[in-house]
Amino acid sequence: MSLEIQIQDSVVAANAATTVKLSGSLDTVTAPELERHLTPLLAQQGVKDLVFDLAKLKFISSAGLRVFAMARKQLKERGGQATFIHLQPQIREVFDIIKALPGVAVFKDIDELDRYLAARQRSHLEQ
Amino acid sequence: MTLQLHATPEEVMRAVDALRDFARAQCLSEKTVFDLALALEECASNIVNHAFKRDAGQKFSVTFDRNGSDIFIELRDGGPCFDPTGVECKPCASEDEPPGGWGIQLVHYYMDALHYTRDGNENVLRLTKRLTTQPGTT
Repeated sequence: MSLEIQIQDSVVAANAATTVKLSGSLDTVTAPELERHLTPLLAQQGVKDLVFDLAKLKFISSAGLRVFAMARKQLKERGGQATFIHLQPQIREVFDIIKALPGVAVFKDIDELDRYLAARQRSHLEQ
Repeated sequence: MTLQLHATPEEVMRAVDALRDFARAQCLSEKTVFDLALALEECASNIVNHAFKRDAGQKFSVTFDRNGSDIFIELRDGGPCFDPTGVECKPCASEDEPPGGWGIQLVHYYMDALHYTRDGNENVLRLTKRLTTQPGTT
């Protein structure tokens, strides 16, 4: 199984975000490919939030989780975060087992993510 | 079925694909296919990355078969003596610690038994998954 990566700018809850859609398998062969796509993206200081849409991701191993952890760390350092939406049940189970991505936001769908980001934006404005 | 594999990530996924085909031919559920595939990917990747440092000239073998209501996967490699069952699985103490042991943690979760032995110059790791129901419903 291969990995298809689609990166697109999006607006979520009036916030600019970049969505990374993954299809297929994120494993020991394809994880370096994702890392290569994310490296120039994360180098842009203007990129604070990444939304990983995993609706079509069918397989993930620890190699893929390490790439997510790397991205999350870099985004956190600039006050942003990585969020994950549309996880298939078997992918969600892997996230739950590891519990090693503390603070990672996982959302059922884009509406739930919208509500979360809108609330976060209100919170920032109130401070 | 036994596969002889070169120590590369691509060969790991070749073994994983073969295991998936075998599991589906046994009419196992897609959930079980996923569980087996992930366990093999993690263990085989550890051999490739740690035992052989991705030296494509090195080889290891993977055997999988069904024994009654058990599916077993056996990995043999001639790398340095290493017992992966003794690796501590611990979640990150903090968000900033580098991840480690995630692979073996997943293997322990998805497989029912892990058994390691040293056979001459080879590490032998046997993973067992018990199928608790009839084929097609597991």
